[in-house]
Amino acid sequence: MRRAITAALGAATLALPTASAASAAAATKKVITTTKTVTGSQGFAGRWGYVEVALVVRKTTTTVGSKATVKRKIIKVDVPIYPNHTDRSVFINEQALPYLTQEVLQAQFNPNIQLVSGATDTSNAFMQ
Amino acid sequence: MGMPIVVAVRDGDDDAAVEDVFGWFGHVDATFSTFRADSEISRIRRRELAVDDASEEVRSVLELCEELRAETQGYFDAWRCSPDGLDPSGVVKGWAVDGAAAILDRAGRREYAVNAGGDIRTRGRWQIGIQHPIERSAVAKVVDGSDLAIATSGAYARGEHVRDPHGAATPTGILSVTVLGGDLARADAYATAAFAMGMPRVIGWTARLHGYEALTILADGRVLATPGFPG
Repeated sequence: MRRAITAALGAATLALPTASAASAAAATKKVITTTKTVTGSQGFAGRWGYVEVALVVRKTTTTVGSKATVKRKIIKVDVPIYPNHTDRSVFINEQALPYLTQEVLQAQFNPNIQLVSGATDTSNAFMQ
Repeated sequence: MGMPIVVAVRDGDDDAAVEDVFGWFGHVDATFSTFRADSEISRIRRRELAVDDASEEVRSVLELCEELRAETQGYFDAWRCSPDGLDPSGVVKGWAVDGAAAILDRAGRREYAVNAGGDIRTRGRWQIGIQHPIERSAVAKVVDGSDLAIATSGAYARGEHVRDPHGAATPTGILSVTVLGGDLARADAYATAAFAMGMPRVIGWTARLHGYEALTILADGRVLATPGFPG
């Protein structure tokens, strides 16, 4: 991950002369926004297994006259490869990733229903 | 077994097959009931009968219980869910309905539903409601599908009815868990185990089920479903 961020910084430095040359003619404000996904190299997270992190970085270059200001912001963090060889890792990962759909409980009165699945009083007797 | 059993057959008036089904449920009750002193399970509880000497049916059900105990990390545990000792009822109900369905299949029936205390197996297309945990006359969801096996475990019927075998505490945060899949005995045990896990463990566990879909109704009114749960 650290290596990837260094690479992103390098690319931005190279882009700088172009930005200042274009804005040199008129002292107007110019804003260029680009986004870039940076994927780090796969790392080995000790006994937990392999992990890889991808960052989506938004770069905003604001040019006023000949002065260019570059701001970078991480807008998204993805973990495409994560450790899942232990129960604990899987549990943590599934807490973070959307595996289940979610809706709000509603009471329906549907006359077409032929059967109802539910926990009955008798299953209480079974379990205790 | 002391629970309502409903058998509905839409194709043909084959009363003999339905009679066979009720005969089968009677046999299962006589063999597995924890309320009958002469059942094999009661005899195993009193150590009058060794598991190895039990009937093949009882041994295969107890083997399934053992398998499910491992699969559910001990949350379904036929030996620890009851203070009176062995109680495989959580699997027997679904297993009995699976057997009933097999009888109707052999009789050539292709349009039927068997409902034993909320454990349902259908052939042909049926609309099944999932009991609303608070509004007793309402359902929370309708499953419209063919050839289904569906079981629900919950706390709304009469307070705490599933014990967490690890902590012996009442599981919290969940009103009911419904599991749907190929094998009803398994679906019922999964629903029982998921309910016993409580929040938040139920989230990761139900999301990880293979070949089974789950719908969990939380105490805060959220309904969580695996992506393949039929709507």
